[in-house]
Amino acid sequence: MWYELGAEKKLSSKWNVSAEAEVRTRNNARTADRWSVGINAEYKIFKGLKASAGYTFLDYNNQEEFDLKSDGLRPNKWTPSYWAERHRFNVSLTGSATWNRLSISLRERWQYTYRPQADNKKYDFDNETWKAVKGKGKNMLRSRLQLGYDIPHWKFDPFANIEMFNDKSGIKKMRYQVGVDYKYRKKHTFALTYRFQKVNGDDDDDNDVNSQLIGLSYKYKF
Amino acid sequence: MKKLIAYLFLALTATACVNDDKYDWDNDFADRSDTDTLHIAIAYNGATATVTGDASNFVSIDGANVTVRSNTNRFLLLTLSGTTQNGSLLIHSWKKLGVLLNGVNITNPIGPAINNQCSKAFYVLTATGTDNTLTDGTAYADNPFTAYGDTIDQKATLFSEGQIYFGGSGMLTVNGNAKNGIASDDYVVFESGTVSVNVAATGTNGVKVNDGFTITGGILNIDVKADGARGIKNDSFTTFNGGTTTITTSGDCKIETVDGISDTTSCAGIRCDSLFSMKAGTLTITSNGDGGKGINCSQNIEVSGGSMTVNTTDTKAVVGKPKAVKSDTGIILSGGYFYASCKKSWACDNGSDSEKASERVTIIGTPTSKSLAKRLVEVSFL
Repeated sequence: MWYELGAEKKLSSKWNVSAEAEVRTRNNARTADRWSVGINAEYKIFKGLKASAGYTFLDYNNQEEFDLKSDGLRPNKWTPSYWAERHRFNVSLTGSATWNRLSISLRERWQYTYRPQADNKKYDFDNETWKAVKGKGKNMLRSRLQLGYDIPHWKFDPFANIEMFNDKSGIKKMRYQVGVDYKYRKKHTFALTYRFQKVNGDDDDDNDVNSQLIGLSYKYKF
Repeated sequence: MKKLIAYLFLALTATACVNDDKYDWDNDFADRSDTDTLHIAIAYNGATATVTGDASNFVSIDGANVTVRSNTNRFLLLTLSGTTQNGSLLIHSWKKLGVLLNGVNITNPIGPAINNQCSKAFYVLTATGTDNTLTDGTAYADNPFTAYGDTIDQKATLFSEGQIYFGGSGMLTVNGNAKNGIASDDYVVFESGTVSVNVAATGTNGVKVNDGFTITGGILNIDVKADGARGIKNDSFTTFNGGTTTITTSGDCKIETVDGISDTTSCAGIRCDSLFSMKAGTLTITSNGDGGKGINCSQNIEVSGGSMTVNTTDTKAVVGKPKAVKSDTGIILSGGYFYASCKKSWACDNGSDSEKASERVTIIGTPTSKSLAKRLVEVSFL
């Protein structure tokens, strides 16, 4: 389960700022996966094209890692789950178009996430000592194509998108999402989403796996 | 509305407080081998074997060849019983373990009877009132490999990569027909029980260790017959702090020619490359073959207690010199009883070339009696 709270403020016809908080869970919503808070500023270059930049502070509950020696019997390294912060910066460019009630948008987002070193988190069975998980930075290009439809005389607006995560080694994961927005008195927007995430290979930072995710969100517009 | 959303948000996230780690230090990694024992019983019966108590499926059986792969952090105690003429026990374990020999007779015609691949402590215990026998064949099959490509050494009828502790109050007979009787790539400690090691002329040493030999109690009998064989072959220190040890060798010198260079290896009751120390117990060595020595040590031989009797009986000395007690650096006597006798060459050799028997040993203190001659040295502090 992913839970999101957001707030948005339109400063002018060109500028928009927003803030959001998010909590994610794993293990069938029984274990906290991460929480984050972020801010974002958006600038409308012209109709149909926006640019944005943002920063997110994340606190990750890093998943446990464990491996055996070559004999398949003796333990080699063990990193129990631990909470550690990360810092994420992003810039995005979004083009959009509307045809009758159907909207389409393409967002290209570059994000950089820095993971500081975490001391005494990894146990080395050879040396019988706790060692640090080294700090690391990671670049990611996210490409999201989204379709939306405004159903007349109905407060529920369905949407669907597909998002591709690329790093220098290629596609790391794909995320497929369908959902519905519900607007209440113009200021309140609720959303319910279903995501399917497919991971290619080992994601060494997040230990992501193929998963199905339900999202609940609320956004307030000032 | 805002409060409702906030409360809902908190309520939903508060449920996500379960730790999803699969491993736990205390249950999975902490060494619990001193406080907690996992018992598994293996009973050999001819061409088959049965296992009980193996809830974790550590044991696999192929005929009477039993393989144990344990990743428990508890002390694993394998109780062995029954008889097989074509069986074995191969052990892989992460933590130290032991075997309780409860009337077991294992013969493996093509390899070790018991092969412990764990480099931690290995306890070989004999149950009270039981006779146990381990025997190998005259020819081993090639060293097998693990599933990960590592070679599985097979150096003895009873072999362990780690140190071996012998204990209990029963009897164990180890018969070596191809290699060593008992071997450890670490050290061995004899604490109690009766252990008899018989190595045929087709085998090699009685007890072969890399990093030390200690006896503190029990009875150890070693009989080796191969040329060039040693009752105890030890690359490190040798310590007698108790027990009763009897060693007999009957092979002659072994002459090997490699690349045109001949190398002669004489038999010895004990061959060690580090300090030999005797503080208590009884040691009797008889070396009967051509050039056979009693004790052959690269460093000091120190006797401060106990009783040591060494005889070499070779009268021909065709190839080697049958010295009873030989050290490259010194033979130091300060307590106990020391007796060295030979029929040829010198009873004692401390590395000097002195023609005086009194200069071939160092006596500290005042013995109650002493007799220092070329072929008989007897010193008693008792």
